[in-house]
Amino acid sequence: MVNLPTTPAGILPFIVAIVTSHTFITLVIFPGFIHLMVVVMFLTWYERKLLARIQLRIGPLYAGGPGGILQPIADGVKLIFKEVMIPYTADKPLFLGIPLALVFLGALPFAVIPFGQHWVIANLDVGLVFVFAVTSLFPSMVLIFAWASNSKYPFLGGLRSLFQQVAYEIPMWVSALSVVMLAESFNLVQIVSAQQKIWFIGPAFISFAVFFIASMAELERLPFDLPEAEPELVAGWFTESSGALFMVIFLALYMKLYLMSSLITVLFLGGWWGPAFLPQPVWFILKALIVATFIIIPRGVYARLRVDLLIKVGWTRLLIVALANVFITVVLLRTGILSPWGL
Amino acid sequence: MDLSVPPDITFVVLTAITLVAAIMALQAKELIYGAISLAVSFIGIAGFFVSLDAPYLAMLQIAVYVGAVVVLILFTIMLVSREEVDKDLTGETGESAAGLWLAGLLAVSIAGIAALAGPNLPSTAPVGNLPISQLGPVLAGSYPVPLLILALLLSGALLGALVLAKVDR
Repeated sequence: MVNLPTTPAGILPFIVAIVTSHTFITLVIFPGFIHLMVVVMFLTWYERKLLARIQLRIGPLYAGGPGGILQPIADGVKLIFKEVMIPYTADKPLFLGIPLALVFLGALPFAVIPFGQHWVIANLDVGLVFVFAVTSLFPSMVLIFAWASNSKYPFLGGLRSLFQQVAYEIPMWVSALSVVMLAESFNLVQIVSAQQKIWFIGPAFISFAVFFIASMAELERLPFDLPEAEPELVAGWFTESSGALFMVIFLALYMKLYLMSSLITVLFLGGWWGPAFLPQPVWFILKALIVATFIIIPRGVYARLRVDLLIKVGWTRLLIVALANVFITVVLLRTGILSPWGL
Repeated sequence: MDLSVPPDITFVVLTAITLVAAIMALQAKELIYGAISLAVSFIGIAGFFVSLDAPYLAMLQIAVYVGAVVVLILFTIMLVSREEVDKDLTGETGESAAGLWLAGLLAVSIAGIAALAGPNLPSTAPVGNLPISQLGPVLAGSYPVPLLILALLLSGALLGALVLAKVDR
């Protein structure tokens, strides 16, 4: 607790005390705002560069820095200065408000993601359920935004997005259940701590596979990018967004990409654990970026799924595999096969 | 930094959010705004659970009610044509007056029961680890007023559903 300054000379130490306090640093600098923005901007450049290399192109080059790494800043400046066009028939409060809500919801779960043993904003006992609750708000937001655009392509995209995210949310969280059983906790810090001897990708490989596939569907990434299928739906549910509004939505989407990569890192890849020559947060971010790489690569490689196949895979295959995996985990735990690793 | 606020203020703010959002959900001209207000109201109830030290229940409240039930409502709104909805939304003034009278009567009688029950109102002491066979006696014995209100609410919801689903022949 920092006391309010009483004299003018006390203002500077007061500001210093605020800025150097643990709350401020975790909220604004490290696992908080600035770190999030930097990583998200890096991810937009990284995706463009990676896809370009996969397709034997060069990608961003001229925006400065090695390999045009300042491209996201150029993009941001360009988008801010473009006109925000609001369709005449759009529902304006929702059309402008939902993108901001999406960014808020995208950033909120990072409050419980542990980037290191002490690098977590809120060490919540129900951390995983919190992430589940917050991400479950995305589909309805997307549908409301699509509805508010009052245009047919966004609406079709929004409906597809809703169907898809609802269909894949359930297998995703059922597969996360086995991790909870292995760690005996919903607390993300404890889940990572339990992986000191063995990463959960080993004992829960099936649930890792299910979670990875489902998170790709949640992120609307190829081969599951039906909600924003360019040839059919222009840009899907955010077709009508332009300028700064588009930038905000883009930000939210990449935040969600980083969120899912971080979550996979926390649940299956041992979070911050790694050889001691690098600090814990560096290991965490490295792992998250590797996961993000594997989420991005299919976009340069695969074609899109058909709608009916997509829904069928989600409800009749992934869900059953995820449920079977819960059973397998129970057997593994009960027979004590995993006891050498302290599980 | 100490960010905690007095529990009374939390309770008042949460009650205001929940109630205002619930009334807006009923009164919204555009159905989709009604659905959004309903979601806000659900989140307010989740806030109550957090303030009652039940974070897990709060998270599930958000996940199930906002994440699933509101999505279902949105689906329904999207699939129903607009003319059909507008027709049913305009109730007669006599109906809403009768509804208000009934609500007032109910509130007075519940307040009367609560006043009579007095010391038997739910205590804030934790119930602890309860065997399932004790659930009924505890609910009906220690918490009669909330149970009564819950019963009224449920029967009201059931009757309302019947009225809404009734086909005029």
